[in-house]
Amino acid sequence: MTPQVAGERAFPVALRSAAWHVPEAAVAVPELPELASLSAGERGTCLALGIETVRADDGLGATALGELAAREALDRAGVAARDLGALIVVEPRAPETLLSSEATRLQHLLGAERAVTFTVGGLGCVSITPALLAARGLMCADRDLGDVLVVHGSKPATTGRYRHPVTVNGDGGQALLLSSTVPGPAPVRLLDIVQETNGEHWDLFHVEYRDRPAGEWREVCRDSSTYSFRLAMESRGRLSGLLSGLLERNGLKPGDVRGHLSQNLSAAGFTFTEESLGIGIMPVCRENLRRYGHLGPNDVFLNLYTAMERGDLAEGDHAVLINVSPVAAWSVLLVEIGPQQETGAHAQ
Amino acid sequence: MNDITREITEFLSAALRSEVGPDDDYFALGLADSLFALELVTFVESRFSLTVEVEDLDLESFRTANRITRFVQRKTGSPEFTENR
Repeated sequence: MTPQVAGERAFPVALRSAAWHVPEAAVAVPELPELASLSAGERGTCLALGIETVRADDGLGATALGELAAREALDRAGVAARDLGALIVVEPRAPETLLSSEATRLQHLLGAERAVTFTVGGLGCVSITPALLAARGLMCADRDLGDVLVVHGSKPATTGRYRHPVTVNGDGGQALLLSSTVPGPAPVRLLDIVQETNGEHWDLFHVEYRDRPAGEWREVCRDSSTYSFRLAMESRGRLSGLLSGLLERNGLKPGDVRGHLSQNLSAAGFTFTEESLGIGIMPVCRENLRRYGHLGPNDVFLNLYTAMERGDLAEGDHAVLINVSPVAAWSVLLVEIGPQQETGAHAQ
Repeated sequence: MNDITREITEFLSAALRSEVGPDDDYFALGLADSLFALELVTFVESRFSLTVEVEDLDLESFRTANRITRFVQRKTGSPEFTENR
């Protein structure tokens, strides 16, 4: 029997459609140019992440990746861009120019002239969560708003794709079309969202750029011990509290969750989350990690839709999406799977 | 070496697959990652029946076996620790 979600104060949001665009060209991780300049230990860490390839296209920027995914998501739902009520862009890691607006650029490219348009971010791969919070808030405040499109183009901030000792970034765009008044049952309903942050770690990983050419930008970890000990242990406590609180306030027990999915950083990262929370991460996460590397804020929904496409999740199932960023930020999302027709799970 | 320190060094040597002395700083030696940290804290919590709270997450308390011993004694109120070398 499907557990009933209590959530009087929750405002469920329907995901009408979702789409991804990843470039066709794949780069094998052992062939990444930056590996030649790494120490033997760093190279060994990179090759043990559980990532075999990443997709990469230097001709496609973050906005172009997002635009391609956005057009696909709108096409799948039969929604015209001009009818969008809002367009929320999850900011890229490094904007192509300063002072300009990536959000209104995408608005113009899509022709979403009526859409309330803005950017959110600041939380690394957790930034998908404030975008969803903003979308839900807009729809809750104005029931006549219409559909909200949340878009992100994932590109690495530096020329190197390997981020020691965390992950390898790939290229990929994502678009999620959200609605509070979807006609008919939605393939996915976003039931609840929880998020916490700790500003102590705001610059644990950072890239200095003002005094050097872009080719010399390097991501630096301020204190690797803080990353591997303090932040790791804090993540155990934060995620455990967020997950139990989320389930409790929605009237669910751990056994009611059909699958847990997380962002794709590394195989060791999955194991850490599993052991910290006493859960299993769905196998599709390790498979997408191996094929695409880390796609930032796009990982958790790509994993969710891939699992649905494969039949690992079915109508009535509840799934939990877990995101962690060394910024530091933590978020846990609760979704319910609806009837499946065309999920749009394929990364195009 | 007291019993607490002996148990901790045995755990560390097994987890890191390397002989670890009571004052070896395995974080400074680059032997520790987040999975090891999780195993270490979980071991300390379960073996000594205590909870490592967020406010306890000072790496200085976990850098060496002797420091962990002092942390365990502080949390559990065990007898005064005699440092061993």
